[in-house]
Amino acid sequence: MIDMKRFMSGGAAIQPIWIFVIAITVFFSVMSDYFLSVGNLTNILVQTSTIGLIALGMTYVMINGNIDLSVGATLGLAASLSVGLQDHGLVVAVLAAITAGVVLGALNGLLVWKTGVNAFIVTLGAMIGVRGLIFVYTEEQSFYASNFAFSDFGASAIGPIPVLAIIFLACTLVMHLVLKKTGHGRNTFAVGGNPEAALDAGIRIGRNMMINFMIVGFFAALAGVLLATQMGASTPNLGRDYELWTITAVVLGGTKLTGGFGSITGTLGGVLAIGILRNGMNMMQVPAFYVLVILGVILISVLIIDQKINVKSSKGVQA
Amino acid sequence: MASAEHIKQGFMLSKTHKAGLLNFLSAQGILVFFLICMLAFSLFSEQFLSQSNIMTVVRQASIIGIIAVGVTVVIIGGNLDLSVGSMLSFATVLVVDLHDKIGPVGAILVMFALTLMLGAVNGFLVGFMRLNSLIVTLAMLSAIQGLVLIYSGGQNVDIANQSETWFSVFGQGYLLGIAVPVIIFALLAVIVQVVMSFTGYGRRIFAIGGNPVAAVYSGIRKNWCVFSTYLTSAFCVACAALVLGSRVMGSQNNVGQGYELLVLAGIILGGTSLLGGAGSIWKTVIGVLILGFIQNGLLLLGYPYYTQWLVTWVIIILAVWLDLANKRKRLLTRHS
Amino acid sequence: MFYKTALATSVMMLSAGLVQAEQTYRIGITQNNVGVDSYQTTYESAFENAADELDNVDVVVLDAGGDVARQIGQVRNLIQQRVDAIIIWPTNGQAVIPTIRQAHRAGIPVVVTNSKIAEAGLDYIAAFSGPDNVQQGASSAEMMCEALDGEGQIVQIAGQPGYTTAMERSKGFEDRLAEACPDVEILETQPADWNREKAQRVMENFLTKYDDIDGVYAGDDNMGVGALNAAKSAGRAGDIAFIGATNFAVGYEAIERGEYYGSIYQSPVDDAEAALQTALDVLEGKEVPKMNFFETPKITADNLAEFDKPVF
Repeated sequence: MIDMKRFMSGGAAIQPIWIFVIAITVFFSVMSDYFLSVGNLTNILVQTSTIGLIALGMTYVMINGNIDLSVGATLGLAASLSVGLQDHGLVVAVLAAITAGVVLGALNGLLVWKTGVNAFIVTLGAMIGVRGLIFVYTEEQSFYASNFAFSDFGASAIGPIPVLAIIFLACTLVMHLVLKKTGHGRNTFAVGGNPEAALDAGIRIGRNMMINFMIVGFFAALAGVLLATQMGASTPNLGRDYELWTITAVVLGGTKLTGGFGSITGTLGGVLAIGILRNGMNMMQVPAFYVLVILGVILISVLIIDQKINVKSSKGVQA
Repeated sequence: MASAEHIKQGFMLSKTHKAGLLNFLSAQGILVFFLICMLAFSLFSEQFLSQSNIMTVVRQASIIGIIAVGVTVVIIGGNLDLSVGSMLSFATVLVVDLHDKIGPVGAILVMFALTLMLGAVNGFLVGFMRLNSLIVTLAMLSAIQGLVLIYSGGQNVDIANQSETWFSVFGQGYLLGIAVPVIIFALLAVIVQVVMSFTGYGRRIFAIGGNPVAAVYSGIRKNWCVFSTYLTSAFCVACAALVLGSRVMGSQNNVGQGYELLVLAGIILGGTSLLGGAGSIWKTVIGVLILGFIQNGLLLLGYPYYTQWLVTWVIIILAVWLDLANKRKRLLTRHS
Repeated sequence: MFYKTALATSVMMLSAGLVQAEQTYRIGITQNNVGVDSYQTTYESAFENAADELDNVDVVVLDAGGDVARQIGQVRNLIQQRVDAIIIWPTNGQAVIPTIRQAHRAGIPVVVTNSKIAEAGLDYIAAFSGPDNVQQGASSAEMMCEALDGEGQIVQIAGQPGYTTAMERSKGFEDRLAEACPDVEILETQPADWNREKAQRVMENFLTKYDDIDGVYAGDDNMGVGALNAAKSAGRAGDIAFIGATNFAVGYEAIERGEYYGSIYQSPVDDAEAALQTALDVLEGKEVPKMNFFETPKITADNLAEFDKPVF
């Protein structure tokens, strides 16, 4: 318990990723006139909300010491369901989409729990298979919502702030509080940090993992539905590679792939970092080919810096 | 919950102790499974077991297989390599583009050198800088794809006089009636398997993948070992690029996109654990062949191409589960 | 000859625009997936060159990397930057409609280039400029009938599933084939995602599965040449008529060698210049028809000499 507290309070100091976010914000503000406008900043929030929502759930799964590669496919399936089932009513369609996400998450969690197969393998299988489900369901077709009410929601705003951004920020706050203030949050850290000790402390490890997989499934589905409202449509290939960007954002935010350490605030920083970089480079008209290289190099650099800081602060702890 | 796990564990153990046949089947599960698949498909499709079909499938699978041989070594060493897809695009575009500019020999040499350098970057970051291999190779996946596009300016590359170059031998040639890609695949698989099983170097890779701390205490230079696994992986990618470039005699910039997943799926199907310290090349070979035959079999039976993804999902879970039943005890203690 | 004239005309049109214009325009373009094939890459450089030649045009060139969500974000960014017009190469004909509608509402005219959007969105665009892909599919079907004398068994290798160009070409081909020569039967259709190596694999499987194939229709020459390669290795290329679309340099050479029956000539330079010109016409308040198709003629060994070899 004491260890736990030290972990949590460690997150109180300013995280390296936020320094990075501030630095690139300043940089792009200087480089582009359009960057630091309210319109552009809310644009960034809307554009990052897709990856951002998934990353919230992914943070929990990764603190658990697991990973979920199937989120991109789950997003695609939810988007297709939420558009394709609209003949039965909007509520039914959205509920079905979200349910599908939670069920797929539960399936992943159950397999990891009951079979002991590595989460990477279980969800890699799901990543391939769920994409197959989408194609079976859609028969390769794109779906579109016949009325614009659906897509109007995606474009709506309260005051100057788009609804999608508000949903994302609200979810971020809730997930932050759950991780910090609830038993489930504490257990999540304990399971990832030291499974044997967690078991001895009476924590139901399998259940905890499964709930977290359901959470990430829920958020992937929610992100899919919200993305579909932005497009008023869905495409069978939607969400390809999103798992990679989500994992990248979470790791940038300081969550350890080995489990037991991480934070929602860090993840928010990681998501924003990628969103700002993409947006800013667009504004500066960096050719698309170079964007790929720059993103890769920055990711590795942040990883190196993060490691140097950690080695300094935990000297003697790591044998 | 804990007691339930203990009961389950006991149940599993007694089952494996009792049934010798079941024990054998689960030990060789993937091979048995492979044979069942082949049998099932051959019942429903006349062409499936025809010599020409089998040769086609094996030849098509050999590009994934060649890469999978290298990635298996990385995984046995306890790491991952997701950058192989972009690296394949890089190497293929390079060798095809340089073919007309500096001749086939020069093109091949430069391609191998530069691909090995990319492998060295991976190896340096993971082996010496001790960064997480998943993220490093993910970042490299993006960066290398960018490099390919910058190099080619986004244009396709082609070999002009396709009939006049011996370069076509790697992808299209035959030796004693066997396709050259298959020969390269088989040779690499045998050599790497022998090295991994019978040399001190191979044993060291297994050691650092299985128990890194103990391996370092026993005097293994972990950094260099990890570094070398990424060179092996890059070398295999370069061989695959040779086959791919020569097969198509041209290349798009994204030609290798998605290969990293197919390669991983094949390795996992074969039963190599992603935890490191275990696995074998021949299992990977079988895993890759299963993927190839399933894809081919479903297409011959007239199912749409995407059904193979669903089948792959189910098979991956079943195969790995079956495989784990054997090592149940070790994994339960690890995971519970 | 046709192509050269077309190019000359479009250059003349562009310089005419230059003389007339007084105001400076900022035009934003978001492309589908530059770098995935040479057509798109050549389009991009042609577009930039054409814009460079005009003093009164500033362009913001973006690429969606094939991702619909990223393209929507880019359109929003362009609206945010208050560009004068937006040119969009849709990653998907349905999914970009709401964002095009937003641009329309913000008073920014949108020109759709190369690949059509669904009908629901036509009210919100100023114009479409590009090839008529349904017509291209139909032309390919006519060539297939010619090549096979109205009878035979063929296979189809289609582009990326769900992508408008791929669907329109398939539809145009299948409809016209059934009409023009009902005795030509399509044995099977498989997608190869505009990828030559994948097309090669798909064709190898077709060759094993079917002992008798008389023709192959590929959604573009890149895939068509992949299929040709597969048939050549199997020693069956001589019995099969290959017909593609979007003539690539490799396809042009294969027609020259007599290995490839025909294709559709479609220049990315014409495509890019037409899109820019359409946007300029819209901005200058000219009367612009909704659908602007540039010519994409059939190309076979008979009229090969009339066309320059594609640069891609």
